[in-house]
Amino acid sequence: MTARWTYVIREAFIGLRRNLMMTVAVILSVTVSLTLLGASLLLSEQVDLATDDWTGRVEVSIYLCDDRVCPAITSEQQEQLREDLEAQEVVAEVFYESKQDAFERFTSMFADQESLIEAIDQDTLPASFRVRLENPNLFNVIADQFSTYPGVEEIVDQREVLNQFLRFTNVVRTAALVVAAIQLVAAGVLIANTIRVAAFARREQTGIMRLVGASNWYIRLPFVLEGVLAGLIGALVSWGLLWATVPQVAGGLAQDIELMPFIGEAQVLAVGPWLLLAGTGIAAVSSILALRRFLDI
Amino acid sequence: MIKLQNVTKTYKRGADDEVIALADVTVDVAKGEFVFVVGPSGSGKSTFMKLLTREQLPDDGEIYVAGKNLATLRPWKVPVLRREIGYVFQDFKLLANKTVYENVAFALEVIGRPRREIEKRVPEVLDLVGLTDKANAHPHELSGGQQQRVSVARAFVNNPRILLCDEPTGNLDPSTSVGVMKLLDRINRTGATVVMATHDQHIVDSMRRRVIELESGHVVRDQSRGVYGYGG
Ligand SMILES: Nc1ncnc2c1ncn2[C@@H]1O[C@H](COP(=O)(O)OP(=O)(O)OP(=O)(O)O)[C@@H](O)[C@H]1O
Ligand SMILES: [Mg+2]
Repeated sequence: MTARWTYVIREAFIGLRRNLMMTVAVILSVTVSLTLLGASLLLSEQVDLATDDWTGRVEVSIYLCDDRVCPAITSEQQEQLREDLEAQEVVAEVFYESKQDAFERFTSMFADQESLIEAIDQDTLPASFRVRLENPNLFNVIADQFSTYPGVEEIVDQREVLNQFLRFTNVVRTAALVVAAIQLVAAGVLIANTIRVAAFARREQTGIMRLVGASNWYIRLPFVLEGVLAGLIGALVSWGLLWATVPQVAGGLAQDIELMPFIGEAQVLAVGPWLLLAGTGIAAVSSILALRRFLDI
Repeated sequence: MIKLQNVTKTYKRGADDEVIALADVTVDVAKGEFVFVVGPSGSGKSTFMKLLTREQLPDDGEIYVAGKNLATLRPWKVPVLRREIGYVFQDFKLLANKTVYENVAFALEVIGRPRREIEKRVPEVLDLVGLTDKANAHPHELSGGQQQRVSVARAFVNNPRILLCDEPTGNLDPSTSVGVMKLLDRINRTGATVVMATHDQHIVDSMRRRVIELESGHVVRDQSRGVYGYGG
C-alpha cells in the first residue's frame, strides 16, 4: 500500500477511536434505522410472496346450493355449469371442490384450533367451483354471466379477501418505511454532526495540509471514510440482527400457517446489499455535505 | 517569481464597515530574491502573504505567483500552487502529537509523495536545520528556536521555489532569531525566493536585503539593500 492510502485509512481509524462515544451513537442510530428499513423491505417480500402464491391458486369461488339457502344443485345443472365455465375464454382453469374437500382443507388450515373444527362437520361447508382466470381483473365477467345460473349460491372474488389483507400490510409497510426514512435522516444528521466535530478537532492538521498543498479530496477523504465506516458497521449489525431473527420468526409462523409460503434466509441475504448501500450511501452523502463549507480552500 | 499589480484588498467588518488591508500595491519579486516586508501592526503584511498562497483573493488588481495568474487559477489547481510555496508562521503550527520527523514527513505524506522519497528527503532537511538528533522528540520538548527550525524544515522539505515567512522570529529571543535567519539565508542561497514579514528592526538592519515597507496598506518604500526604517 502506498503512503497516501496508509495515511487516509490510519486517519479515519484515529478519528473513529478518538470520538468513541459519537461513533457508538452513530453506529446505533444507523443500526436502528437500517433494521427498520430491512424489516419493511422483508415485509414487502413476504407480502409479494404470499400474494403471488394466493393469486396463483384461486381467484374466484362459485359456491353451490345445498338446500339451505337455495334448492340443491342437480348433477345436470352442475355439469352444465362446468361446461360453460370451461368454454368461457377468460377462464384458465376450473377445479371442483366437494364438501369433503372443503372440510379437509378447513381442518388442515385450522389444525391447532380445536374449537373451530368441532363447530363444523362434513356437511357445513358448501361445495364450490374454484376458478382461476387468465386475468384476475376479469372477475366481473364471471359474476355477470354465472350468478343467475340455477344452483349457484354465491360468487366470491377471493382477491377481495386478499385485498383486505394487502391493505392492512400496506399500511404496516408504509408506516415502517416512513419511520425508517425519518430514522435514516436522523442518522444522517448525526453523522454530519460527528464529522463536523471530527473536522473541527483536527482543524490544525487540515489547515497545515491545505497550506502544504494537499488536494481537497485528500484532506476530506479520511473524514468521509470515517463516516462511511461507521455507516458500514451499522449496516452490518442491522443485517446480522435481521439474519438472526427473521428466519426464526418466519419459520415459527410457517409452522402455524401451513398454507402460506414464508420468506427465509435467502430473502434476508438478498436484502443485505441494499442495507450496506443505504448505510454507506447516507454516511457518505452526509459526511460530504458536512465538509462542504467547513474545509473549503 | 512574484508579481502584484495594483492590488487592493479590503475586509468587510459588519454591514458597511470596510478595512482596507492593501491599497493599490504593485510589487515585483525576482527569482532568488530575499525580501523583507516591514511595517507597523495592521499595515497589511500578513494579508500580503495570504494573497500569495491564494488563501485570500484580492478585490482588485492582478497577482502572479510562480508563473500562475491567481485570479484565473482553478480551485482544484490551488494545491499545485501551494506545493511551490513553503510557509512559516510566527507560532510554528507544529502538530503536538507528532514527532519532529513526523511533522516534517507529514508535509510530503499528504501530497502523496512516495515513501522512499520521504525517507530520503526528511533526514536531509533535518540535517540542514541542524536537528538530526531531535528527530524523535515532540515539539513540546524543544525550545522556541528549535521548533521554528522544524517549521522551516517542514516548509522547505518539498523544495519549494518560494518560502514565505510571516514573522518567523516574532516569538524568539534575539540570539535564537539569528540562528533561524542564518537558516533562511542558507535556503535562499539554494535558489529559493524568500519573502519575510517582520517587525524585527535588528534583523532587517543586519541582513541588508531588499525592504518593502507598508503603511496602512500602501507601499511607502521599496528599497534594495535597505534598513528597517529611515530613522533606523
Ligand atoms: N480576516 C480578517 N477579517 C477582517 N479584517 C482583517 C482580517 N485580517 C486582517 N484584517 C485587517 O486588515 C488589516 C491588515 O491586517 P494584517 O494582518 O495584514 O496586518 P499585519 O501587518 O500582518 O499586522 P501584524 O503585524 O499585527 O501581524 C488590519 O486592519 C486587520 O485588522
Ligand atoms: Mg501579521
